[in-house]
Amino acid sequence: MSKFEIVNGEYVLDITLDEAHILINLAEQLLELLGEGNIPHHYDSTDPFAQLMSSMSDGNFGGEVAPPEDAVLKRLLPNAYADPEASADFRRYTEQSIRDKKVETLTAIRRELAAIVDADKAGLIEDLDAYQWLLGLNDLHLALAVRLEADESSYDHFESLPDEDPQKAIYAVYFWLGWLQESLLKLM
Amino acid sequence: MNDTLTEMDLSLAQMTESPWITIVWDDPVNLMSYVTYVFKKLFSLPHEQAHELMMKVHNDGRAVVSSGSREEMEGDVQRLHEHGLWATLQREGTL
Repeated sequence: MSKFEIVNGEYVLDITLDEAHILINLAEQLLELLGEGNIPHHYDSTDPFAQLMSSMSDGNFGGEVAPPEDAVLKRLLPNAYADPEASADFRRYTEQSIRDKKVETLTAIRRELAAIVDADKAGLIEDLDAYQWLLGLNDLHLALAVRLEADESSYDHFESLPDEDPQKAIYAVYFWLGWLQESLLKLM
Repeated sequence: MNDTLTEMDLSLAQMTESPWITIVWDDPVNLMSYVTYVFKKLFSLPHEQAHELMMKVHNDGRAVVSSGSREEMEGDVQRLHEHGLWATLQREGTL
């Protein structure tokens, strides 16, 4: 299984092709959800993960002050105030910038994963920006958690699912993302 | 005289502009080690203090992570949202 390491003072991720496919797929879906419409996909509609996020896009981008309708966006861009009016004001001034930051982070990660996926073999992502990966993995982890409605009892639930349940693979990715993030945090 | 006035103005400004707090709410997804890392990074806290603050969020369901002017707290909330933490701001004493 892939994990982060420090080699000669640089952060490195030794990643399998399957894992690179899963990560790039999730990153591209979240990019679309955040409003990036023009990215070439590394997945197709038969991919079991393909519809996790992109199909939920509500088109509520830019300049809107209402909270997003999509549950993932609501979690990634939560209300700043209990009061809806104050929250709308806050969104007017900050939401685009928060979205832009997330898009920038995911785009950088996607670019590094694309090199692996396009070469069609496992490989090293070298000299990576650990902070950027940490934030990007966290957003993917959060997004998947929202889709799974994950909470403290999720691991027990995951273990009780039969292997043939399609949700089981998604849970496995969810827990793997947390594990991967933890492996990076241990080095930082 | 001028100095005194400036000082008075400053303390008045602090009194009227400081009753705002930033709250981070517990969520079951963010890793404890990640939340600690974000607190260290955003609030320049030593590890021990960041860990304690994270535990307070975890155990109490929320914790006040900063206080100051409304503008400053909006900046903190924005940075916390950029890092995927669930944060809100409000007037102090309304929690």
